[in-house]
Amino acid sequence: MFKLKINGEEHDFDADADTPLLWLLRDELGLTGTKFGCGAGLCGACTVLIEGRPARSCVLPVAAAAGKSIVTIEGLARDKSHPVQQAWIQENVPQCGYCQSGMILSAVALLERIPEPTDADIDAEITNICRCGTYNRVRKAIQVAAKRGAEGSGSGAGPGSGSGAG
Amino acid sequence: MLNASVPLISRREFLQTAASVGGLALSLDLYGQEAGFGPPRAPLPPRSPAAFISIGTDDVITIVTPAVEMGQGGHTAMPMIIMEELGGSWQKLHVVDAPPAAIYNNPFFGQQSTVGSFSVRGWYNELRRIGAAARMMLIQAAAEKWKAHESECSAAASLIVHTPSGRKCSFGSVAKRAGALPVPQHPVLKPREAYSLIGTSPPRVDVPDKVDGSARYGIDVSLPGMLYAAVKTCPTLGGSLKSFDDSAAKSGSGYHATVALPDGVVAVARSYWQARKALDRIGVEYNRGALAGLDSAKVSARLHEGFGKPGDKARQDGDVESALARAAKTHEALYEVPYLAHACMEPMNCTAVVRGESCEVWCGTQSPQDVQSAAARVLKIPPSQVKVNVQYLGGGFGRRGAGDFVEQAVTAAKAVEGRPVKLIWSREEDIQHDTYRPAAAIHFRGGLDGAGSLIALECKVVTASAPSFGRPGGPPFYTEAVATANYAIPNFHVTGVNQDIGVRFGFWRSVNDSHNPFMFEGFIDELAYLAGQDPYQFRRALLKDQPQTRVNAHRQLAVMDLVAQKADWQHAPAGHAFGIAAFEGFGSFIATVAEVSVSAHRVTLHRVISAIDCGVAVHPDNIKAQLEGGMVYGLTAALRGEITLENGAVMQSNFNDYPMLMMGEMPRTECYIVPSSAPPGGVGEPGTGPIAPALANAIHAATGQRLRSLPLTRHQLDFAVTRT
Repeated sequence: MFKLKINGEEHDFDADADTPLLWLLRDELGLTGTKFGCGAGLCGACTVLIEGRPARSCVLPVAAAAGKSIVTIEGLARDKSHPVQQAWIQENVPQCGYCQSGMILSAVALLERIPEPTDADIDAEITNICRCGTYNRVRKAIQVAAKRGAEGSGSGAGPGSGSGAG
Repeated sequence: MLNASVPLISRREFLQTAASVGGLALSLDLYGQEAGFGPPRAPLPPRSPAAFISIGTDDVITIVTPAVEMGQGGHTAMPMIIMEELGGSWQKLHVVDAPPAAIYNNPFFGQQSTVGSFSVRGWYNELRRIGAAARMMLIQAAAEKWKAHESECSAAASLIVHTPSGRKCSFGSVAKRAGALPVPQHPVLKPREAYSLIGTSPPRVDVPDKVDGSARYGIDVSLPGMLYAAVKTCPTLGGSLKSFDDSAAKSGSGYHATVALPDGVVAVARSYWQARKALDRIGVEYNRGALAGLDSAKVSARLHEGFGKPGDKARQDGDVESALARAAKTHEALYEVPYLAHACMEPMNCTAVVRGESCEVWCGTQSPQDVQSAAARVLKIPPSQVKVNVQYLGGGFGRRGAGDFVEQAVTAAKAVEGRPVKLIWSREEDIQHDTYRPAAAIHFRGGLDGAGSLIALECKVVTASAPSFGRPGGPPFYTEAVATANYAIPNFHVTGVNQDIGVRFGFWRSVNDSHNPFMFEGFIDELAYLAGQDPYQFRRALLKDQPQTRVNAHRQLAVMDLVAQKADWQHAPAGHAFGIAAFEGFGSFIATVAEVSVSAHRVTLHRVISAIDCGVAVHPDNIKAQLEGGMVYGLTAALRGEITLENGAVMQSNFNDYPMLMMGEMPRTECYIVPSSAPPGGVGEPGTGPIAPALANAIHAATGQRLRSLPLTRHQLDFAVTRT
């Protein structure tokens, strides 16, 4: 039995210890915003935030995530109000959208750590694959969200800074 | 929301119309630009608006779109076209995917497939007529209610207004009455200058659900009692299942069943991870089949063998041999490209449940009717017994037109009849069992006269496999972007040879235009240097009005001029070099300039400038997104895209050895749209082809090194970008 705090709620899982967190989120909790892309930690479609840091849930056994606080795309804000989500909508970033949950959470973590990232920071921290080629819009949206964060009241663009659970 | 709506026209009429439209299906003709592509051939009545539009008493307008959403913007562009004529409020829009039915067959080619950048260009006229017919029906219903004349009424923002009296009513209040009226046989379209939606860029309707995880893709389907399935098939392409031993799998947690496929096995379990673990424990023996001895060197050798075959004539202008014999300068070269995988971000998957003689399927697909027939084939039932629920596609790029994953899921569902099964491929299965972009090669011979004019060009196009369709007697499909070139060349021969190697192939974003322009525009560049001319000016001369020039050459010239102007072609920054490429494809015209600098073996890409003339630009912001996205798809392949074979098996398996372009490699881009009132062309695919030749031509301009095969990083080159 493994105990995880996901989007602010405690959950108990009875699963094999090697089960990747990804499949518990998707198949047990129905949190399907976290995507399966490669199963090898290469593409970032499965990115979640663990203690505020981006992690690739497809290669993270539940045993290693036990006791940690996890935020998925569904936990970012209840009403798409997170500054990063708002920037994504404003810039019409997604195309197929499949990688975008991971992109957004990676951007949230980046902005939490570096509120005004340079291009080099974005290059280094956003290592998610987008097959539709939305990279330049992702970059632009991160800068828009950063600008809003800088202009805002200071709580920045961290997870849960919208009205949802964090 | 759909439940709250009433169809504009009764269900019965929809079904009758659907049946009658089925008989109008046109044959697939990808060379139809001259042969009838464009407006519908006859002033047929519009297809029944009820199949496309329903308006609720709450004024919600539900648009049924025959184009699925795979990122290309179909769920936004298709409703825009209807709503423009309908006069509906964009804020009241709800979009749903069309179920499989003949009434949703693309007017251009008679199939319900979201392929070939055909959605807007195939549906533009028909969706406007449907929207206009519905608007006229709503107005008639309101006018009858008011006992007023229809000509005194207008519709906009989901309201019908009687101008003389100022009376107003909402669409929803008269939708039911309108639905009972006959469909106008000759709907009156708005004049272009009255457009308020087409040509603007409203927010994409699918975006909000794609920022909070609520968008539902095929892989996200969840049903009561659902089981999960993992699959592995023979690593050797074309192999088959010999035997399997699942005794070690049965003790695993959650194990439910093992299902044999013609070429592999499926493990079914209570959860996907349990299915994956069970699959690993199933020992499988395969018959390796006819391709067991195939490797990449043999593929290449087979392509080269093709140069010695006579081939099929694709273009036969003038007399190349005598022109070459009298040419002042001649040149020949051989270009080659490898197999490629699609690598959609969402691995192939399908959910199915079989109940007796019927079946229900959920998946992201580019071809709902093909899903229906794939399931029907497995179950030996009529396609009408298969219900298909189209989901969002996590990328399509041509891969999701195939039915292989559907057949597997339905086979598994049949084995556990009554329970839904969600079958998901591993990324490894996806890379190693794709429908590959074929390897191909072209041998060119060209000749210049004493003034440096191109007087002779011979192109022998060899492909490792190709579909058989195309206009009978017309040019082979795979010679597109070579045989269809707009350049004025008095003696110009193109032949095609299909060296079918037996590797499963498919349409890969932009199909032939994904690689033929690399080879053709590369050789044109070589000829420019041979002539001692600037490569841009050399192309200009070939596009300027001359007797041999195709009528569309001026549109290709305009996009090329635009990118050259934006690049400031004559004044490359110190140490930088430009490369250019342009062509016509998918009913659009595209040109790209790449700006590079090269130091030692490092190529730095500074900037990519693209321009398109796609006729009427329905949603300019999305067109730019598609240009940029297509460029990334093409750049990824140009730099390092390569599927290699050994012993009949694909040697790549995941993103570690089939790497994708990443954020840190994304160049600065500029995208431009040439204003046009021509019928819409395609936008999803044209952006893919020009980057490889533009980049290779720029590398030549910088170094003198001519790169004639892809991927470019095979030529001992590193790659970087800079944004300063």
